[in-house]
Amino acid sequence: MELSRSAGVPSAGVALIALAAAALPLVTRDSYYLDVATTILMNLTLTMSFRLQVSTGQINMAHISFMGIGAYASALLVTRVGLSFWATLWIGPLVAAALAVPIGSVALRVSGPYYFLITFAFSEVVRLFFNNFFEGLFGGPSGLVGIPKPDRLLGLAFDGKLELYGLMAVLCVGVALALVRLDHSRFGLTAGAIRQADLLAETLGVNVFRYKLTTFVLGSFIAGLAGVFFAHFRRVLHSSDFGLEPMVLLVVFTVIGGTGSVWGPVVGTILMTIASELLRELHHYEILVFGAVLILTMLFAPEGLVALPGTARRLLRRLRGRAPAAAGVGLAP
Amino acid sequence: MSIDLLVQALLNGFGLAMVYVLVALGLTLIFSILEIINFAHGEFYMLGGYVTYYAYALFGLNYFATLGLAILTVGLAGVVAERLIFHDLRGKALNAFIVSLGLLWVMQAGAQLAFGVLDKPVPSAFSGIVRVLGLVISVERLVVTLSAIVLIVALYLFLRLSRPGRAMRAVAQDADAAALQGVNIEAVAALGFGVGCALAGGAGGLLAPVFAVSPAMGALPVVKAFIIIIVGGMGSLPGAVLGGLLLGGVEGLGALFMGSAAVNILGFLMVIAVLLVRPRGLVGGA
Repeated sequence: MELSRSAGVPSAGVALIALAAAALPLVTRDSYYLDVATTILMNLTLTMSFRLQVSTGQINMAHISFMGIGAYASALLVTRVGLSFWATLWIGPLVAAALAVPIGSVALRVSGPYYFLITFAFSEVVRLFFNNFFEGLFGGPSGLVGIPKPDRLLGLAFDGKLELYGLMAVLCVGVALALVRLDHSRFGLTAGAIRQADLLAETLGVNVFRYKLTTFVLGSFIAGLAGVFFAHFRRVLHSSDFGLEPMVLLVVFTVIGGTGSVWGPVVGTILMTIASELLRELHHYEILVFGAVLILTMLFAPEGLVALPGTARRLLRRLRGRAPAAAGVGLAP
Repeated sequence: MSIDLLVQALLNGFGLAMVYVLVALGLTLIFSILEIINFAHGEFYMLGGYVTYYAYALFGLNYFATLGLAILTVGLAGVVAERLIFHDLRGKALNAFIVSLGLLWVMQAGAQLAFGVLDKPVPSAFSGIVRVLGLVISVERLVVTLSAIVLIVALYLFLRLSRPGRAMRAVAQDADAAALQGVNIEAVAALGFGVGCALAGGAGGLLAPVFAVSPAMGALPVVKAFIIIIVGGMGSLPGAVLGGLLLGGVEGLGALFMGSAAVNILGFLMVIAVLLVRPRGLVGGA
């Protein structure tokens, strides 16, 4: 019963996101706002899939690399092989997921701090590979250019901001629906159990490694999906798009909202993407502010912004609880 | 290929690797005492570089006095960072790691705003080369490498013989037991973080004349330090030295066959290889 009730709320939430996304073009068709909204949805897809892994207690510093793998795979398959975008939209994520199996199998042999470092090592290998090897293919330091927009589908041309926004909205809502259902399935509950006490889960017969690997591969698939869209949305790829800075940004988006539920990344991503747009002219200040916000959140509200009302309520209750006690002390002598 | 060329390549690799070992020793010391992976460690190295730029290149202070100043200043900055930020995060690996990512950005952006984004050149303190048995070694590299080795030995003696050093080792082994024996954990944590950062600051001071000083200069050495401590085993000081020698050797030899950017990938491949065989690193304990 507990299960079905809690599953109802997030599904309604996804419907709310879908409605909001559908309503935006009615409010404005300004290409700048559509661009920002598309970026939010793309970041949202990334942060939701990143949280999936954080929910088993792993900060995967190579998450952004799987976005890169999907992006480069799709860009090359379209420009070199001549495949349709609508085919690579699936092939790109599959390539990312296929590479995630061996990489995840190695990385998940270790845990905690070792895991941060080995995934970071992988992300650097991927970035250096795109930057320094097969320059004729990946474009090297000057980047991979000339990536076309998605081709026509069912008579619809995807050459405007509005159509691209619509496509990203559909992808994002689809991912959100799938992740919400997953969160409240047996799988999601097990993931939570692993985060809280993986040794205990293991003794209860949960194959912890398999669960972690599954979330790793699934998360990489979704990151690859966002990557394919990114490639044909921006139409130029640099290896630095998938380096440490965007990865830390991803951590900022996810952590500031809170990782306890799907809503944390949603709130965090929307707020921080807008903040990032506002601070765009002042790049150094953007990084400074984001870094400071990240530190302050982790120190004073480690459960994230979404948990703030609950944290405040608990604080209030404690204060109220303490008030009579203080009066009592005052009366005693 | 001649043996001379091989030995020369190995020497080139080892020389810089000793400085990266300094950075790695700081990281691993902080990890063993506070169980924190400080991703912002490279930014303390960068601070050391700027101290050197201002004291030595601009103000004209003696090279070795500058080095001492860099070590002291950055060590102090480390103590402040521990007291202000990392103090409550001891043992919370995940939260501390995320906080250190934030600190990395704050320090890097702060340096860009305070010192400007452009590279600042620091003149060489030593010029000329020495020839030994047909090998060519620049005096500057020799001084840098020897200074790094002196600092490594000094750290070793400090941890072995001094009272605070022994307290640090005790906390690293078992914090609760150390506290029961009357060790002041708070003081040891602050001092340990400070000493770790001071080592990074010293490394930054040593390499400032070799490379230029810039806000992003910390990225490369910290990445190398990560490689060194994973390969050697986290929390192990001899492991860090061994990891550094291995990395130096691999990169030195690799430079004979490929470009410098491609060489960087070798270290990461070494990490992956080591983790496959011995996830705890070569010298790491249980």
